[in-house]
Amino acid sequence: MKPFIAQHRDGDIGFQIAPMIDVVFVIMLFFMVMAGSVKVEKELNSQLPGNAETSGATEFVDEQVITITEAGEISLNDEPLSPPEDRTMDRLKGTLTRLKEAGDQAKSPTLVTVVSEPAAKYSRTIDVLDALAVAGITNVTFTVTEED
Amino acid sequence: MAGGGGGGEGEPEFQIAPMIDVLLVLLIFFMSITSAQVLKVDKSVTLPLAPDAIKRDNTRSEAIVNVRWDMKTQKPAYIMDDRVYPEVADLSKAIADTKKGSAAGATRGPNPSFRVVIRGDRDATAMSISRAMNAAAEAGVSDISFSAVNKD
Repeated sequence: MKPFIAQHRDGDIGFQIAPMIDVVFVIMLFFMVMAGSVKVEKELNSQLPGNAETSGATEFVDEQVITITEAGEISLNDEPLSPPEDRTMDRLKGTLTRLKEAGDQAKSPTLVTVVSEPAAKYSRTIDVLDALAVAGITNVTFTVTEED
Repeated sequence: MAGGGGGGEGEPEFQIAPMIDVLLVLLIFFMSITSAQVLKVDKSVTLPLAPDAIKRDNTRSEAIVNVRWDMKTQKPAYIMDDRVYPEVADLSKAIADTKKGSAAGATRGPNPSFRVVIRGDRDATAMSISRAMNAAAEAGVSDISFSAVNKD
């Protein structure tokens, strides 16, 4: 078997390119495989309700209210749109997209308030915020109903 | 600059140097996209799934609040900068201090508008997240972002 580091007749250690390429290929394959499975942290933005300045004209907008029950059922303006087991929420996404388009045509911002029951799962709230992101609605507020 | 090598008889021969160049560029590319995405996260928090969320803006000045969820006790724990805050009032004070530090330039990012990033566990209740939001509101921050991951 040839030695890993070749030794010339004059005693100099020669650089071997073939093993280096082998190692680089292996490292590259590792990073290529890792690149496919990497998790990326993303964000969903929301604004807390605050004090509005009253010096200018106040613009009244239609507020849409999405409620999330403890069981995970989602309703838009008291109309049930997504049962607890529904993860894709296509109906909700479609309705929100149409609302956004109607708001854009009327040049009126679409404001959505997500109201969740206290014991409802946070992941369900994120599902709703994700659906709002699909519809392109950015004026989103999230609140929780008061505990009795 | 020679694109490809040529032998004396006009026959192209394999050039090792450009191949190594390309190989190293590819290696650096894959290294950067994997290492840049490594989550600087609290490992005990399992973030919820949101494939359609927007890419995280790393230029903002922010305070990151981790909301752990203890399945046994069914209670949340609020962590900011590796410190556990049992009381929401203390968390609010810590957020306010971070905001002040950010305004003074101590932790100021390229985008100076301050926000609170809530990294809540997917099993947490809406109420526990709402308490973290209340802490942000008491600290005078109305810009809230929720963290999520693109895949399980």
